[in-house]
Amino acid sequence: MHVGLEQYLTVSFLLFALGLLGVIMRRNLLVIYMSLELMLNAANLALVAFSRFNNKLDGQVLVFFIITVAAAEVSVGLALIVALYRRRQSAHVEDLTGLKL
Amino acid sequence: MNASLMFLEIWVVALGIVMMLADFFFCVTPERKRFLAYLGIAVLGVLFLELLGPDAPTGTAFHGAFVEDSMAIFFKRFFIIAAILVLFLSSEFSDSVPGGILEFYSLIIFALAGMLFAASSNDFVMLFVSIELITVTFYVLVSYQRARLLSLEAGVKYLIIGALSSAFMVFGIALIWGTAGTMNFTELAQVAPQFLDNKIFLTGVIFLFAGLGFKIAAVPFQIWAPDVYQGAPTPATAFLAVGSKAAGFVLLLRVLFTAIPAVTARWADFLIIVSALTILYGNLCALPQRNLKRLLGYSSISHAGYMLLGVAAISASGQSAVMYYLAGYLFTVVAAFTVIALVMQHLDHEDVSALAGLNQRSPLLATTMTLSMVSLAGIPPLAGFFGKFLLLKAVIEQGLSTPNHGYYCLTFVALAGILISFYYYFGVIRAIYWSKDTRDLSPIPLSGGAKFLALLCIAGMFWIGIFPNTVLNLANAAAFGFK
Repeated sequence: MHVGLEQYLTVSFLLFALGLLGVIMRRNLLVIYMSLELMLNAANLALVAFSRFNNKLDGQVLVFFIITVAAAEVSVGLALIVALYRRRQSAHVEDLTGLKL
Repeated sequence: MNASLMFLEIWVVALGIVMMLADFFFCVTPERKRFLAYLGIAVLGVLFLELLGPDAPTGTAFHGAFVEDSMAIFFKRFFIIAAILVLFLSSEFSDSVPGGILEFYSLIIFALAGMLFAASSNDFVMLFVSIELITVTFYVLVSYQRARLLSLEAGVKYLIIGALSSAFMVFGIALIWGTAGTMNFTELAQVAPQFLDNKIFLTGVIFLFAGLGFKIAAVPFQIWAPDVYQGAPTPATAFLAVGSKAAGFVLLLRVLFTAIPAVTARWADFLIIVSALTILYGNLCALPQRNLKRLLGYSSISHAGYMLLGVAAISASGQSAVMYYLAGYLFTVVAAFTVIALVMQHLDHEDVSALAGLNQRSPLLATTMTLSMVSLAGIPPLAGFFGKFLLLKAVIEQGLSTPNHGYYCLTFVALAGILISFYYYFGVIRAIYWSKDTRDLSPIPLSGGAKFLALLCIAGMFWIGIFPNTVLNLANAAAFGFK
């Protein structure tokens, strides 16, 4: 079977949807954060596939930027989640109820 | 290659690094820390005068990815003034920021660098990187008081929703680039009309809106705003309210009117609905609020809605109204947060009732807060009135020149929103002057810097409201030159 752009895009959409589902359904901050990374990587896959099939390199360059920025985001994000965990002894979103009306 | 256009950004990044390293090399006493903040403000002031004067160079660099036009210059001036005011405010707030106020200053300056790049971005790579530079810096700024649980909680909420919206944005960029084949806004404008019925392209545009809508806190991406405004340290909230929102707007204007004008022209109804919902949501939810910062969070949603009026008008006068409104909003919001920071710094709550008797405790702060609320409500002669007038004028003009009746409904919704907002803005003023239970009437000690900042904000509000010509001419030049 020939694997074309359509197949790559389908996988990428599936990954994105799975990530989104994880963000919405899961209750643990770390798992939510992993799902967010999955969504970013779905975008990376789409960019690389488009790059390959359109014979243009801009998309692959953007992928490098996304990987770098995601690394920065993770380092800040994990530090934040750890700081919260130290204070609350929990990484569950149900416990984030200090800010409301 | 024309890297000299980027001098301003390079200087700002260098200033941020120096500020961060200063902690290692100086034995820093509180006086020296304040001195370093003033030094940073002075450097930003010099950069403003030297590099953003009337004869600032224009052009493009990096194959059209970085553009310096009149709109970029308008927003860069705006961002530098915002950063100067926020640095001033942070230097007054330093008691409440344990563990290194200097890093706090340098993070503000790095966020400023992101905003400056955002003002000049003409390419999706640039858009993505600058927006992330702003957002990641704000994750740290929002959760900076890490001994306070609320600050951490606000930071985590901002982190999750921010990362979610940037994932949407990146996926949108991937789809747009995959179909249209170009990342550059100017080139995209030429090919976009071919893709008006391409579903993948339009999905990409919607996903991109999710990312930008998050930055400006427009419905349906506004959920984070009240929580984050309430939990963040007050100077960070002020910078979030003016800087980050304006960065979202400059990118929104660039994307809608430089990159995909063909799609924008078709989607007027969509913009009208988003604007109307944002105005109604912000104003209605602000009504029952007692926490002052949370109230301003909802009010900032409604102001994003007002500014979307100018975007929905899809005209150059609408864009110039947005820019004028942002300029007035800057001084108004910083004034409000200055008062909140000074009055509530040592209290354990930020309830509206803490303002009781403020007119006896500190007449200057009471005046500042009153003027700020009056300007937010949009009463002449302050900045907020003329801005709202221009936005509504742009919408009505567009309603007259197109057969779309949505514009009249939008005008009506906006007026209703403004009327509703009188209730909660005047609730704050009533708490200052006519509160019955005034327990604490001790005068509030004000440093010279705090007085200066309050007077500066009052002067800004009056100047933009009574003499609108200077700012309006700049905004018009930016909007019409940009067309």
